[in-house]
Amino acid sequence: MRFEHLTAIHQMLLVILGVLVFASCLFWIMGRIQPGPQVTELQTRTRSWWMMATVFVTAALVHPLITFIAFGFLSFVAFRELSRISKNARPEDRGVLFWAYLAIPVQYTFAYFAWFDAFLMFIPVVMFAWIPFVLVLKGHTQDIARSMSVIPTHLMLTVFSISHLAYLLSLPELKGLEVGGRGLLLYVVFLTEMNDVFQFTWGKLLGRHKIIEKVSPNKTWEGFLGGLISTIIAAFLLRFLTPFSAFESVMAGLLIAGTGFVGDVIVSAIKRDFGLKDTGTAIKGHGGILDRIDSLAISAPFFFYFVYFLHYAS
Amino acid sequence: MRTLWLAFLYRILMRPALAILGIRIANKAQLPKKGPFVVVSNHNSHLDTMALMASMPLRQIARCHPVAAAQYFGKNQFLARLSTLFVNTILIKRQDENPDQKALEVLDAYLRKGHCLLLFPEGSRGIPEQLQAFRSGVAVLLQQHPDIPFVPVYMKGMGKILPKGKKTLVPHEAFVQFGKAHYIHSNDISQILDEVKNAILALQDELVP
Repeated sequence: MRFEHLTAIHQMLLVILGVLVFASCLFWIMGRIQPGPQVTELQTRTRSWWMMATVFVTAALVHPLITFIAFGFLSFVAFRELSRISKNARPEDRGVLFWAYLAIPVQYTFAYFAWFDAFLMFIPVVMFAWIPFVLVLKGHTQDIARSMSVIPTHLMLTVFSISHLAYLLSLPELKGLEVGGRGLLLYVVFLTEMNDVFQFTWGKLLGRHKIIEKVSPNKTWEGFLGGLISTIIAAFLLRFLTPFSAFESVMAGLLIAGTGFVGDVIVSAIKRDFGLKDTGTAIKGHGGILDRIDSLAISAPFFFYFVYFLHYAS
Repeated sequence: MRTLWLAFLYRILMRPALAILGIRIANKAQLPKKGPFVVVSNHNSHLDTMALMASMPLRQIARCHPVAAAQYFGKNQFLARLSTLFVNTILIKRQDENPDQKALEVLDAYLRKGHCLLLFPEGSRGIPEQLQAFRSGVAVLLQQHPDIPFVPVYMKGMGKILPKGKKTLVPHEAFVQFGKAHYIHSNDISQILDEVKNAILALQDELVP
């Protein structure tokens, strides 16, 4: 059986498997030639990638309902992590956080039943009013403005944006595109994560000129541009998962690399504010869940509207 | 039977529930495999007891008893029965100053039988993230049994999930850190109390985040 005869999903699974096997072999050989803490860290990270890829592929492919629950859970854990590291939360905010958590199943229900308008307005309109209102009802105005801005922002970063990944599965079927929303989901998640890896790798190999040293000392122009070009090439090669023309896929790669970088540095800056390097210890070698989905928090909604306006909005 | 029931309650139901709420338990493998031992922890929430019970070794769980205030959990026969059935508690009278002699005798008898006690020397849950003065009961018990180890536990953030006086659970990341089993060195009540307190506070620095 030749590669072109497989379905798009199977081709993509082979690509993911290939990348992981390649990385594992490479670091194993590197560890044999020149053992050291750096190689060990790369090996730990790769092992975590195996785990994350397995969980993600299972969640994305088994059944749509499982995908929605899994992404809802991802939003939940990310929101929980973000509210722990934000040290300026007040004790009075507890009751409001309860409402914020309730917003997660509501948002994913809208996504599952493809109620697009409700999905779109629920957090930026309804929760944007409801959260400050509940805070006001508590009656403590000391530092209330900070809580009013922080909690809706956390909801936007972890729930609104990530739920767009799940909504890809609720998009109507396109003629001539058999993979459907799943292909788009695999495409944007794979490219965003690979963009992080590309930026990291190019930065380690060639990095000289820092972009924003005060926020993220490891981000260099060489890493960013190397990552951008690599991601564009990958986006072009993987366009069989999407309805994109060759030109559109190049633009999608550009968009994912650019917005992924934006998400990464936004979360880095939040962490800096609270004096942390990583947001947690949930994934070995990677820090917290948030450290892995920071780029997705921005690239997911941008990619969603990119493909939506090009191919779904009539 | 009791072991099965508590194992079902705490391993199958409680552990996943605590994990979803955001509670992470570290180093529980350091617990001695066999009783008797005394677990001492700081106290901010009812969830503290749940987290400790969920960490106890399976074979021991029916022989592990959280020690709770009779004034609070034993207001009537029904409540007392419930807390024994679900939490395996020993109810004692909470004293503000000198420990109740009869309560000490009861706890002493449990330790002699090889059971384990889960104690919160602060007495009540208090203000979140603030350690209150320790009651001396734990020190008296350890003084009588210098051959029984105590296991210090430090918990952080539990009061954010379920604080004193609140009825709703709000998820929040919290941490339960188990320490190594210690034996007391001193014979003096206030010095034993300091040993216990320092062992708990030392775990504060071990917390990862």
